[in-house]
Amino acid sequence: MSFASPNPSSTTTITISAPQATCAQTKDKNLPPNVFTLPQTAQLEALYTIIRDKETSRGDFLFYSDRIIRLLVEEGLNHLPVLPRVIETPTGSKYEGVGFEGKICGVSILRAGEAMEAGLREVCRSVRIGKILIQRDEETTQPKLFYSKFPSDIAKRYVLLLDPMLATGGSAIKAVEVLIEHGVPAERIIFINLIAAPEGLLNFGTRYPTTKVITGWIDQGLNEKAYIIPGLGDFGERRYCV
Amino acid sequence: MYTSPIPPGKDLKLFQPKKNTVLVSHGRPPWYGEDGKHIGNAFVIGVAGGSASGKTHVAREIVRALGSIPTVIILSQDSFYKYHTPEELALAHANMLDFDHPDAIDMPMFVACLADLKECKQSNIPVYSFAEHQRLAETKYLYGATVIIAEGIMALHDPALRALYDLKIFVQCDSDLMLARRIKRDVKERGRGVEGILNQYLRFVKPSYDNFVRPTSSHADIIVPGSNNAVAIELICTHIRRQLQERSNQFRERIAIPHQYIKSNSGSSTPPPTLEDLNLTVLPNTPQVQGILTILRDRGCSRQDFVFFVDRLSTLLFEHALQHLPYVPKTVVTPVGADSHGKQLDASHICGVCIQRSGGALERGFRRVVRDVPVGSLLIQSDLTTGEPMCLQVMLPVHVRYRHSAENTWVFLLDAQIGTGAAAFMSIRILLDHGVKEDHIVFVAFLVARGGGISVLRHAFPEVKFVCAAVDDEMEEGWLEGVQDEITNPGGIGRKVWVMEPGMGQIGEM
Repeated sequence: MSFASPNPSSTTTITISAPQATCAQTKDKNLPPNVFTLPQTAQLEALYTIIRDKETSRGDFLFYSDRIIRLLVEEGLNHLPVLPRVIETPTGSKYEGVGFEGKICGVSILRAGEAMEAGLREVCRSVRIGKILIQRDEETTQPKLFYSKFPSDIAKRYVLLLDPMLATGGSAIKAVEVLIEHGVPAERIIFINLIAAPEGLLNFGTRYPTTKVITGWIDQGLNEKAYIIPGLGDFGERRYCV
Repeated sequence: MYTSPIPPGKDLKLFQPKKNTVLVSHGRPPWYGEDGKHIGNAFVIGVAGGSASGKTHVAREIVRALGSIPTVIILSQDSFYKYHTPEELALAHANMLDFDHPDAIDMPMFVACLADLKECKQSNIPVYSFAEHQRLAETKYLYGATVIIAEGIMALHDPALRALYDLKIFVQCDSDLMLARRIKRDVKERGRGVEGILNQYLRFVKPSYDNFVRPTSSHADIIVPGSNNAVAIELICTHIRRQLQERSNQFRERIAIPHQYIKSNSGSSTPPPTLEDLNLTVLPNTPQVQGILTILRDRGCSRQDFVFFVDRLSTLLFEHALQHLPYVPKTVVTPVGADSHGKQLDASHICGVCIQRSGGALERGFRRVVRDVPVGSLLIQSDLTTGEPMCLQVMLPVHVRYRHSAENTWVFLLDAQIGTGAAAFMSIRILLDHGVKEDHIVFVAFLVARGGGISVLRHAFPEVKFVCAAVDDEMEEGWLEGVQDEITNPGGIGRKVWVMEPGMGQIGEM
């Protein structure tokens, strides 16, 4: 999996009557089949180039990361079920469309996941959002749950799990574990992130093969400090300017 | 020749068409054929004559008498005085600079601006300040006249300028009458002494008239007396009207009103164009896009839902439309110190133009995708009686106003749907007139009617990109109930419209 692997064949010139997801399921045999990436277009690559650049201002970082987050959420929603629905148009004719099915909620992994909530809200009005705080336990070096707060009926909802960076996959695996404890089936969780390392995707996908992972870009890998290379630095820090 | 200030008072202003302004009476009908090309140039009239001979009066009388001509510009030679050096400026302030010599006028620029306007292009004419005796840094943007009247003492002097006129008029006036008018005007309006006026007259104005201005009368098609000229003006206007009528009769059947070319469903021998022929860029038909379209098409959709889902859909549309922009490789360093080989947008200017009213529905989505983008607007309405599209207002972003930057600008045209395609056709033509390249225009709409004007558009403008969320199959003739409106529709009459099926209704209404 090399970093610069855009797929230029993104122009769709025909309508397709059956619903289809925009995601091209990843072709890499080494990655789990539940991993989906956004169409790797030139303009998406240009968005990533802006937010990766360490010289990018905070205003630009906010604007362009929001654009990617919206695309990711839109893509995640495409994995939710729809049902046939017939409506009447203002001209009085019948139109066979589809209706959205199932309630959703967002769960952001603190802190950086919170940065994705605004993008989620732009796509899903008044969506309920739960929070989860996971940090590395200094004694065991394992991820540990520090705090969680979910909507009471979370077990009945589809969950969009938000975390911008997937490095080793430790906190994401822990977060799914917590959600399953709260009664959410693994297949009703959709994990959304901006940049993923192949190592993290492999760990996560092996552990939860039925949870879908939507990622914008798969990077080269991790360095010795477990930072994603080339990555974009600490997402939360760049977003909140701390 | 100085511009006389327009006297105060509302009534007078109504009867005194401003110079260097596009005067609009009832909108501009199509000036192009179904092939997208111009069907004729603007009609250009040159009016020359001595200072205070009554040129401006003649020009204004023509405009007033023509009345129903949609768009007229009176272009004044005064705008084209040259930029003065500091030495000339000192002379000018001492009333010692000869403004009545042909060399005082920037003739090449006058010719270039008039030629652009004649070819239906935009022009940014210089602005000259008589208070400062200097050409200012700003320019004035002009576009879209059907009739252009160029007036000034040297209007018939330059051969290149004369070649542009369809009609050349010389206003002939006795020298003593011109001097009398000049003294009266300058004393009253500029508070100057008779002595100074006479000095200037004898030193510059009179020799200039005798040497340069009067001889140009031999180039005129018609010589008009400087006073009591109502009959002459009537004759001129009759001629102009006939000329314009001949042009419009000649080109009437070629005028582009795309829905006139739409084949009716019954008895049509040519099959509707296939989607491949139309070469549209259609948003991938994902479950979410289908669901959004279902909500928007529902007649029971609340206004709140409509606005929310319109924003969501237009954001997706523009994200998809951006693939038509060019990208080049770029390498950046990430905060972890690693090189990242990516891409960068390679477009010097990007702007948008909303086709009012329903194009405004796409604007928020556009702004979510392109940061701080300038967005202009075009107001195009169809004429209640003829059904022709009429251009009522052109407000374009600054990069499009100047020809040199328009050539490097990518323009997104925003409209809710392409049905008959009449407004789309006109707006693309307006951008091309300004020098925007055809392949730099991206038209973004929610819906396109396959059987509608899109095939005429596609044929006329093969390089324009069309991006839409869905393609509807049919166009049906419908009747829009008229809403009584004191100004635009006093009788509350309805009109025949083309409606898309299944469509989304009148998007601008929501």
